[in-house]
Amino acid sequence: MSERASRRRFMQALVVGAGSLAAAPLGSQSGAQPSTVMSTDAYRPVLRPAKPGAAPQVTDEQRDALEHQIKCQCGCILDVYTCRTTDFTCSTSPAMHRDVMRLIAGGYSEQEILDAFVETYGEVALTAPKKEGFNWAGYFAPGVVLAVGGIALTVLLRKWRAEAQLSAARAPIATGGAVLPGVSADELARLDRAIREDG
Amino acid sequence: MILVGELSLWIALLMCAWSATLSFAGGRLRRTDLILSGERGLYAGFGFVVLASAGLWTALLTSDFSLRYVASFTSANLPVIYKISAFWGGQAGSMLFWCLVLGGYAALATWVNRRDNRVLMPWVTGTNALVLLFFVATTAFASNPFERLEWVPADGRGLNPQLQNPAMALHPPLLYLGYVATAVPFGFAIAALITRRLDAEWLGAVRRWSLVSWVFLTLGIVLGMWWAYVELGWGGYWMWDPVENASLLPWLTGTAFLHSIMIQEKRGMLRKWNVTLVVTTFLLSILGTFITRSGVIQSVHSFAQSAVGHWFATFFILALVATVVLVAMRLKDLESPAQLEAMISREAAFLYNNLVLVGIAFSVLWGTLFPILSEWVRGTKITVGESFFNAVNVPLGLLLLALTGIGPLIAWRRASVANIQKQFAGPAALGVIAAAALFTLGIRELYPLMTWGLASFVAGTILQEFWKGIGARRTMYGEGLPIATVRLVARNRRRYGGYIVHAGIVILFAAFAGMAFRKEYDVTLRAGESTTAIDPFGRRWTFTSEGLSEFKALNRDVLTIALRPTVDGQPRPILTSEKRQHRDSRGQPTFQPSTEVGILSEQRQDVYLVLAGAIGDQAEIRINFNPLVVWVWHGGVLMAIGGLIVMWPPSMRRRRQEGYVAELAPQAVAVSA
Repeated sequence: MSERASRRRFMQALVVGAGSLAAAPLGSQSGAQPSTVMSTDAYRPVLRPAKPGAAPQVTDEQRDALEHQIKCQCGCILDVYTCRTTDFTCSTSPAMHRDVMRLIAGGYSEQEILDAFVETYGEVALTAPKKEGFNWAGYFAPGVVLAVGGIALTVLLRKWRAEAQLSAARAPIATGGAVLPGVSADELARLDRAIREDG
Repeated sequence: MILVGELSLWIALLMCAWSATLSFAGGRLRRTDLILSGERGLYAGFGFVVLASAGLWTALLTSDFSLRYVASFTSANLPVIYKISAFWGGQAGSMLFWCLVLGGYAALATWVNRRDNRVLMPWVTGTNALVLLFFVATTAFASNPFERLEWVPADGRGLNPQLQNPAMALHPPLLYLGYVATAVPFGFAIAALITRRLDAEWLGAVRRWSLVSWVFLTLGIVLGMWWAYVELGWGGYWMWDPVENASLLPWLTGTAFLHSIMIQEKRGMLRKWNVTLVVTTFLLSILGTFITRSGVIQSVHSFAQSAVGHWFATFFILALVATVVLVAMRLKDLESPAQLEAMISREAAFLYNNLVLVGIAFSVLWGTLFPILSEWVRGTKITVGESFFNAVNVPLGLLLLALTGIGPLIAWRRASVANIQKQFAGPAALGVIAAAALFTLGIRELYPLMTWGLASFVAGTILQEFWKGIGARRTMYGEGLPIATVRLVARNRRRYGGYIVHAGIVILFAAFAGMAFRKEYDVTLRAGESTTAIDPFGRRWTFTSEGLSEFKALNRDVLTIALRPTVDGQPRPILTSEKRQHRDSRGQPTFQPSTEVGILSEQRQDVYLVLAGAIGDQAEIRINFNPLVVWVWHGGVLMAIGGLIVMWPPSMRRRRQEGYVAELAPQAVAVSA
């Protein structure tokens, strides 16, 4: 599904769900097998000329870590390293790995290699959004929501506590009088203790 | 039988429409005859869904390939167990299975409560019937498993090899049992809102059903993790895949509800919040289903895109709007006394726990939907993967773990300094000592260190509570340790069942942290060759290849590698991993080759072998050392056991005595009077 089609489908489904419902073909049967279909034509070569006097700047460990940051484009949700080392039927991740190796041999740094993949595939080549522009909303929104929620909750709790203190000050028990007929302040204190100690 | 099944689906549709209409009319007009007819309509609707399910199972077991569904998901040589589980292996069948579970739950809820909650029940029955009507209609119109092919193929396509796993025979049903159970509390919430009976009456039923949902979701999620671990072959058990996230969302809000409901029971507070959580949990299960089935988000194991996405989107929007309107109309009725004696109290701790749980739910939903949002706003497609979710959720998870220990030890209403010192001194010391010991042993990674320190603290709080409780019983009744332990739990299932759930959480978090020390080795071996690897505990492993071998099994060709491991010279059981090419009954290959991993499980770690492939007589393999994985399964099972203990109904004799109302001693009243 193309990007545009994916977006259109989502918006159509969400916003005009009722309308599209009527348009949905009755009794249509979906191909509903869980989708692990690999796309073999998703691979696009990431080619760059070797730098003059190129020498590899990236160790094997750094290369593996780098490949954990690049998403395999076969249609799975794995990174290149995980896909190529666990799924031998995928031809895309080994091809992407070869590109990484070629770029390393060409003297490119980790960041330059990531940029090269982004240039070729778009940001979808990365396993996590780049930390820039609108993507910051992705990173910060949960924290902001939680912080705002925390502040709101604290304010609310303080308000409730103030109300409790106010009503305690007004309560007849504060003057030592009985609240319920036949029940003394001692009994109420005992009841209060029982409630507090209860699990 | 197949024709009967097909017809039954349509009759079930009519029965659900009948039940919903009559139940709502009966509730509105207060007419018993209409209410009874509505109830019977629901039972009948469920009965016809059972017949429809029997029809589909018959078609699957008899390999009736005239049905598109049977031809799409089975083959003649598919083992019987997987023909049975193929019922929920595809979109249309799983929709019918959803109807079956929902119909069963709705009928059970009506049957169990038919003599109680008389004002609420017509509306509960009507709402459940309406939800069931939606699912039956979606199944019948948009994803009908009884749809016929124009020609009958000689054999079917077969079931995806990754679904030919015992866990997949259990994981989807358990998850559905959890997902679908959220509909019943939703029914009660809607009924309570409509009838304005928002006091404690509906809470008992809602709590029970929420626990049912929670226990099944827990089991379903953990079993799904196990399936991903043993079947997908990438070496982990949680990938933050949209489908996994969809199952986690209602679990998180359901967990929040099970905590906040205690505040309403004890203090009469939080009516609005609790209704919101019940409704949100149900809506998230619908949204999750939409995400899974509409094809809007790429996932490794979602259903292919289909027309049901439109149905679910429509239902989600209608349910959301109806609920928001209903809640808005009842805001005044939802007002509850909201007073808090102190900021340091169990009420406050539970509310912060709610905040974190809902915050995690938001971050998971946000991360799942962010690629779509980004594409919409910027026109750029992005991937939100494991690193994003871990960056956001690990700190929140640690906060939640800390609150798991803090909440239950703080007194209701107000905790004094003395209370805090008394309750927390021991567990806090344990946490600090554990973290210091691990640091001394050379662990420098911040998150694992924090996780294990906090896990020790929470474990300390739980042990302390059991210790006190058991000690009190032994002193008061002279009971032995085992009897005192069993009776302690049995006499206060909610409290100690909850602690057992928390113990499961502690184990789960500690096990998650273990994966930070995972080690991976990629090697190529010929027969007789060896490779050595050092595990995270510093032990030296040697793996000697016994070579590759090929053989044919029931419905597949198998290529297997066998490794003979030793650790520090001591032999361990042989490890094997397979590549499988499944074939139909005519010998034609179906699907792409799949991998069966080899796992050597120990308490401290799993040795995880993957046969990536073979070139000639060379086997390309990956060996992972995955620390503490077995404890993920232990923790998950313990959580479910704890949930069952909490859920287990008290005997009639004890039911009268139980509850949170503290009674005044009669003689004391007499004296004071």
